[in-house]
Amino acid sequence: MFRIFKERFKEGIKAEELKIRDENVEILGKQLKEKIDKYFQGSFAIREVDSGSCNACEYEISALSNPYYDIERFGVKFVASPKHADAIMITGCLTRNMYEAMMKAYENVPNPKFVIAVGDCALDGGIFKGSYAVMDGIKDKLPVDIWIKGCPPEPIDIISGLLMLLNQKFGE
Amino acid sequence: MVEELLKPIKDLIADYSFNTKNEIVIRTSDFNLAKVSQYLFRDLDCELATVIATDDRFSDDCCFTIRYVYSYHKKNVFFIVENKVKERFNSLANIIPALNWYEREIRDMFGLVPLNHPDPRPLVLFPENFPPDLHPLRKDFDIKTRPELKSYGKYEYKEVEGEGVFNILVGPIHAGIIEPGHFRFSLAGEHVLQLEIRHFWKHRGVEKLAEGKTAEEILEIVPRVSGDHSYAHTLAYVQAIEKLSNTEIPERAKYLRVLFAELERLMCNLNDVAWLFQDVAYSFGAQGMFILKEEVMRLNKALTGNRFNKNVLKIGGVSVDLNQEKVNLIIDKLGFIADKFEFYKKIIFDSASILDRFETTGRILYETVKELSCVGYTARASGLKSDIRKEHPYLIYDKLTFTSQTFEEGDCFARLKCRLSDIEDSISIIKEVLADLPDGEIFTQPNPLPANRWTLGYSEGQRGNIMYFVKTDKEGKIDRLKIRDPSFNNWQAIQWAVLGDIVADFPLVNKSLNLSYAGTDL
Ligand code: SF4
Repeated sequence: MFRIFKERFKEGIKAEELKIRDENVEILGKQLKEKIDKYFQGSFAIREVDSGSCNACEYEISALSNPYYDIERFGVKFVASPKHADAIMITGCLTRNMYEAMMKAYENVPNPKFVIAVGDCALDGGIFKGSYAVMDGIKDKLPVDIWIKGCPPEPIDIISGLLMLLNQKFGE
Repeated sequence: MVEELLKPIKDLIADYSFNTKNEIVIRTSDFNLAKVSQYLFRDLDCELATVIATDDRFSDDCCFTIRYVYSYHKKNVFFIVENKVKERFNSLANIIPALNWYEREIRDMFGLVPLNHPDPRPLVLFPENFPPDLHPLRKDFDIKTRPELKSYGKYEYKEVEGEGVFNILVGPIHAGIIEPGHFRFSLAGEHVLQLEIRHFWKHRGVEKLAEGKTAEEILEIVPRVSGDHSYAHTLAYVQAIEKLSNTEIPERAKYLRVLFAELERLMCNLNDVAWLFQDVAYSFGAQGMFILKEEVMRLNKALTGNRFNKNVLKIGGVSVDLNQEKVNLIIDKLGFIADKFEFYKKIIFDSASILDRFETTGRILYETVKELSCVGYTARASGLKSDIRKEHPYLIYDKLTFTSQTFEEGDCFARLKCRLSDIEDSISIIKEVLADLPDGEIFTQPNPLPANRWTLGYSEGQRGNIMYFVKTDKEGKIDRLKIRDPSFNNWQAIQWAVLGDIVADFPLVNKSLNLSYAGTDL
């Protein structure tokens, strides 16, 4: 305990002069927050579902919560229950074995809802397209509102994708 | 030496030969298979590295071949037992539990039946979605086959009965941003009586996709097998290809390959420690470690243009070189990470509230990891040495000094301590590599692949060793690619880890093993 306090005093209050914040993240984040404040009462809830990803997309989505991005500052929250979500975020190709679970998650997100596809393989299966084990991607199964490309997209790409989605829906 | 080792089973084997320097192929009959396997697994104390089936009905042979790969740790040797199979084979899962999933996988993918298997349920292809006669890795199966998506049968879960016993079912979709898998807990009060896991929700048909492709084309697939291990998977693969094609990569490329391998290991270990802290509600430490992980990813980006160092490995070397500026950057960043890491490490050992959650939780016994041939920190935390960088050294690992520590306790704390010591190992390896980095080329033109040959490729990923098996067809294209992620061997251990623990400890136990679903499901 003592060690923690010692470090705290030595380092000062981090939140006021964090050098780890990028300018780009801050600019995009601010715009994102304005939109979310205006149209979602300050909180935009996403249920993330992996329907066959390699896990690198999850790795980068999780990174959004680290202190460099801290996406909750802008009102974006990843929630456990689809029933609490404004949007569903899908990563990976769509496997046969995940089809039913993914559809159930989608159906349980209350209307109106957005579908966000993340990663090169989410829309049509990418390199897994055509395999016996997948139904390619979600393209012709769900009404996809935005596709954030990349393999995997970097955290900043995901932030700018979310902003693009809201701009598209509610105007710039 | 080999002669000597195989002497006790001399009469049980037809013959043996060298496939490569350290791959010894043993041919035996179905009748003697059990005795030979038992000798290797029990008496020689080998680990089961992987099992590969191939469909050779349409090439020179008339049947299927199953190859059991045993890794002998005391010398750099693999024993590969070859068994020719027509339709059925004797299950050995009763005497070598590590074979359980492999045999079930072979049944699903090839339609070969393991006789007297203790658990004959389907593993990879769910009867709820796949017809029972679909066996994708048979050569006469067309990858584009898509039978109607409907239920063809039911999967029987193991039921636990008794007064007051109840079940908690979790997944496939979990609460957080994590991969899908199904866990069924049977509980009496808060204590876990049984955990049954069901995986392969993300089965994508990776091995079938590889068939008939060129070695180069597969470089698109292997980094996407298990995302956070994209580099280690690719490394295992390219080493197999280079061995087959007799391509010797330049010295400098070897050093650089080690450097990037250790950066990935460092990234994964920092991430693991962060999540372990998060799961015991120690947010301060967790965020601190997340910062360090992000720093490694940003360093990757600065060095190679990609946060995961994808596309660095080429067949024949690497595609990215380091100049003095980049070397300085690495040294700078490592210094920062090492300092901060030291600080957090001290806190852990100081804080009773952290230790209390980790110690004695999720204990896995030595016997369990041994019987299941677990690998990586899962094995090392329970006293079983496992590090293919030491057992079967590749690149320049035989010249480097690192501890690859083992612990005895087998609990979450031991697995945390493995991570901490691995972080220190990686930092010191990177420093050593930079200090000795030779000048010269980083790439050499690879030779073409020979026809009808096979070999093993391997590398130590952060979770443990990754095994690849590559076999070429008559045109020198890929006939069979078998991928074995460390998680495939380790997953079963989780069912033992939680026994007797309270269910609320499961997230911590799960994180302490942090196994890959994508790498297992393929
Ligand atoms: S888009 Fe790329 S990184 Fe994302 S899940 Fe697919 S293969 Fe993995």
